[in-house]
Amino acid sequence: MTVLGIEGTAWNLSASLVDDDEVLCEASSAYIPASGGIHPREAAQHVANNIAGVIRQVLSSTDPRLIEGVAFSQGPGLGPCLRIVGTAARALSLRLGVPLVGVNHCVAHIEVGRWKTDLVDPIVLYVSGANSQVLSYRQQRYRILGETLDIGIGNCLDKFARSAGLPHPGGPKVERLAQESRNYLPMPYVVKGMDFSFSGIVTAATEALKSASLEEICYSFQETAFSMLVEVSERALSQMDKSDLLLAGGVGANARLQEMLSVMCAQRGARFYAPKSEYLQDNGAMIAHTGLLMLRHGIQTAIACSGANPSFRPDEVEVLWIETH
Amino acid sequence: MGAEAVVALRGHSVVKKRIPKDYRIAELDTKLRRERTRLEAKIQSDARRAGVPTPILEAIDSFSITMERIEGPPVSSVMSEAVAEDIGAVLCALHSAGIVHGDPTTRNMILSAGKVYMIDFGLSSYDRSLEARGVDVHVFFQTLQATDDRFPALKDAFLAGYARNCSNAALILEKVNEIKERGRYL
Repeated sequence: MTVLGIEGTAWNLSASLVDDDEVLCEASSAYIPASGGIHPREAAQHVANNIAGVIRQVLSSTDPRLIEGVAFSQGPGLGPCLRIVGTAARALSLRLGVPLVGVNHCVAHIEVGRWKTDLVDPIVLYVSGANSQVLSYRQQRYRILGETLDIGIGNCLDKFARSAGLPHPGGPKVERLAQESRNYLPMPYVVKGMDFSFSGIVTAATEALKSASLEEICYSFQETAFSMLVEVSERALSQMDKSDLLLAGGVGANARLQEMLSVMCAQRGARFYAPKSEYLQDNGAMIAHTGLLMLRHGIQTAIACSGANPSFRPDEVEVLWIETH
Repeated sequence: MGAEAVVALRGHSVVKKRIPKDYRIAELDTKLRRERTRLEAKIQSDARRAGVPTPILEAIDSFSITMERIEGPPVSSVMSEAVAEDIGAVLCALHSAGIVHGDPTTRNMILSAGKVYMIDFGLSSYDRSLEARGVDVHVFFQTLQATDDRFPALKDAFLAGYARNCSNAALILEKVNEIKERGRYL
């Protein structure tokens, strides 16, 4: 089966063609804000200006008659971006005369990770700009075991970076600066069972700019926030009695976070997996691949049900393609 | 394997020790383990003072708590309507003291000398919100439902026990249903 997928929830517009075995083609166009962070209207304008181009690129790589389905990111994400992606996907599906399938962006991050690491039933730590969740598959759903009580880890990093005058996206810059210090400043560490909160760290780090060096703040920021994420991941492994951990989402590209997770797993005899960073960040292949799994299990999205769903939660999706024993 | 601590039996005592985590830098790791050990001991003794049967604390140091060993079966193996009712009353007493347990599974309750003891306050906190209490009751219902076919009757018995001294039992039940609808707690 060959499926074309379109991702466009926030910063990276991407279209991709996949079959059951591999990614056949991918074309992307990233939105880079002129100043500040992601502006929803500008991001949507970027999608509108470039979506025909990325789709055309992918279509030109194949005979369009071979495409058997069109998948698109239905949510969660920025409404104005999602609406344009949905419109393009509907038009394409009607034009090609193939089924349409709306994909949950979070589930797609998990599925592309499972695909690229061959994991069956891991605990998933999903960390991106707007989302931070620990999930586990059980009875045909990805259950959210724990999540942020306020902002996602990526937004948390970006917000602080902005107040420190670092250009967007702030995460990679904070990561680089953090390597220059080993001086730890205490920051709010908030874990409640399996949930966690990041807003206090942003406030504390911004406040610390008055008296401490940027390097030591970045270091302390990362150590505190990432320790929280690793702690809940470990608790999830323990409570669900699982021994594989999968990292998903753009913040997963952070080398220090990966290191901490792998140390935690090693200490408790679990295994840690992260796909290559091209599959951690938002990408069209994850949408196409998840769409393919859904279509293979008889799931399609009627035009009437294909509207944007900016607050689409992963546990709303019925997952029919995992077989556990 | 637990996520946070190792528990060892030493004669008539139980020693719960928070082990170092290699992934965290030492400053943070030491601080967290020290604070949590202290908080857990404080909550456990406050719970006991409020009339909730919990193990008596014998010794505390930076990272470990030594406490009385409660002899008896976990409530899961001796469950009955009477036991469920007692659990309701005990959880209500804990909540009335401004404490939520955080992990009130049937493995964390022991029947000893006719009393239901609550153990493992590692995820406990001082919290008077309806939400936190609702999550506590929901977690208990979930473990009960997963392990016992008599769940409907046991649930009613639990609620009768909870309502005996807690006037807001109806509100709690409403909250539990809302939490269940969200479908995120296993």
